[in-house]
Amino acid sequence: MDPTQLTLAEARLAIASGNLTPLALTEAYLERIAALDGELHSFVLVTREAALAAARAAAAPGRSGILNGIPIGLKDIYKTAGIRTTAGSRRYLDHIPNEDAETWVRLRGAGAILLGKQETHEFAIGGPDFTLPFAPARNPWNTAHYPAGSSSGSAVAVAAGLCAAAMGSDTGGSIRGPAAYCGIVGLKPTYGRVSRRGVFPLSYTLDHCGPLTRTVEDCAIMMQALAGHDPLDPGSADVPVPDYASALATRLDGLKIGVIRHFHERDAVAAFGPENAPSTAYAAAFDSALNTLEQLGAQLVDVELSPLIDYLDTNRLIMIAEAYALHERDFRERPQDFGHHMFARIALGAFLSAADYVEAVRQRRELCLEFARLFDRVDIVVSANATGPAPRIDQVPFWGVFERASYTAPYNLTGVPALSVPIGFEDGLPLAFQIAGKPFDEAGVMRVGHAFERASEFRHARPPIAASLRPA
Amino acid sequence: MAEEPISSERFQILVEQAGLALTPEQFAALREGYRFVQRMRRTVRRSRDRAAEPAHIFVQPRPEAS
Repeated sequence: MDPTQLTLAEARLAIASGNLTPLALTEAYLERIAALDGELHSFVLVTREAALAAARAAAAPGRSGILNGIPIGLKDIYKTAGIRTTAGSRRYLDHIPNEDAETWVRLRGAGAILLGKQETHEFAIGGPDFTLPFAPARNPWNTAHYPAGSSSGSAVAVAAGLCAAAMGSDTGGSIRGPAAYCGIVGLKPTYGRVSRRGVFPLSYTLDHCGPLTRTVEDCAIMMQALAGHDPLDPGSADVPVPDYASALATRLDGLKIGVIRHFHERDAVAAFGPENAPSTAYAAAFDSALNTLEQLGAQLVDVELSPLIDYLDTNRLIMIAEAYALHERDFRERPQDFGHHMFARIALGAFLSAADYVEAVRQRRELCLEFARLFDRVDIVVSANATGPAPRIDQVPFWGVFERASYTAPYNLTGVPALSVPIGFEDGLPLAFQIAGKPFDEAGVMRVGHAFERASEFRHARPPIAASLRPA
Repeated sequence: MAEEPISSERFQILVEQAGLALTPEQFAALREGYRFVQRMRRTVRRSRDRAAEPAHIFVQPRPEAS
């Protein structure tokens, strides 16, 4: 058995039952990283010796954490005490923090083993940029293609079987975009559900931390370790955490799901032009996914919100205003330390006024209220994710973040939980949709994702590069 | 809606006001990207009731928070 072919849930059971040791699992992942990551570029630092030491310790009697012996990766904006954390930037190329991100503290406390730090767009926004110290990660389904970002390395490593799960961050879609293009599961939890403390910020009011996993069940296990109040994160919410695994179901009877079609069927072309229309294959995959949800017992109803551009521009204005405030001093004093992509996108914030920002935050409240009213009528909403396959990595538009439709940012702006789940393929590259829910109802979102995943065959699909390196 | 690019002269003033020292490449990129600032501004600046509050409210920090 090649243990890297197991899901996190399967590996956890194998370890608990004594059929697999944390050391064997860790060694298997390290072997795959050594063999494959020269092409994929998903890790910027592999903590081999520390991982092996942690794996040996995980075999000690009495270790029963929910993630005991499970090897994971962290996006390289998560601070790790004594371990280099660069944010993908020359600015922090030699930065060794003296503190851990709270999320890593919780994962480690649950028994997780750190395999290393994973490639990120510079400060979670500037990429793909080939002038940065670390090469951009490549899509494991076709390495000529883009894995999306900014949690690129995390998604690539999970999809390629280089770790059991990984942590990303999401300010406008940086977990769910890479999850979609890499054919895995990615969750942006509710704002306040998972601590952001110790993670390099991009935008204080839009940043979310969350897991990338191969299945929704794996996501639920990760969330059990991650969720909960952190009194030292000013945005953290003191809300009870349910048992996520027990909320997973295979039927959706009685559930009312709102379908946001106009974002991708009408608004994208209206705001960004005809090249933003969904591909024929995507439209068919989306409709097929809806059909599956109906077959599982859900009642679907089309719902109408404000135009997509209202959500996107409000999100982006707030994001670059907050990001510019964060980086202004460095931009003035050491602009040579930053890549062109990151600098150009964030420096646009220099030209916004205080009134622009306040107006955006006032509009944010109106759009949040719109979502709150929506969730008075439905339990869950579904909407598109990227409406076509991943582009070639050398054909990603420089200003794509502003001039291409994105379907993930509305959930950052409103702070509600949103999950990306695979729904098909086009030209051998994955497609996905999003399942979103009421604030703090990650359980409901994962319930729908799990039921859909079990009713479809996409959870079994792995990129060819993820095939076992070991003889059968 | 297509935007008329901001003139180099006008944009240079904005850059100086921001206190940025840009390379020619950065200047050209930001001048090109300025149309997105204009678009975002247009999207969020709307007639609203004066009582329409922002999404963020002031919350007293906890004493233990640094």
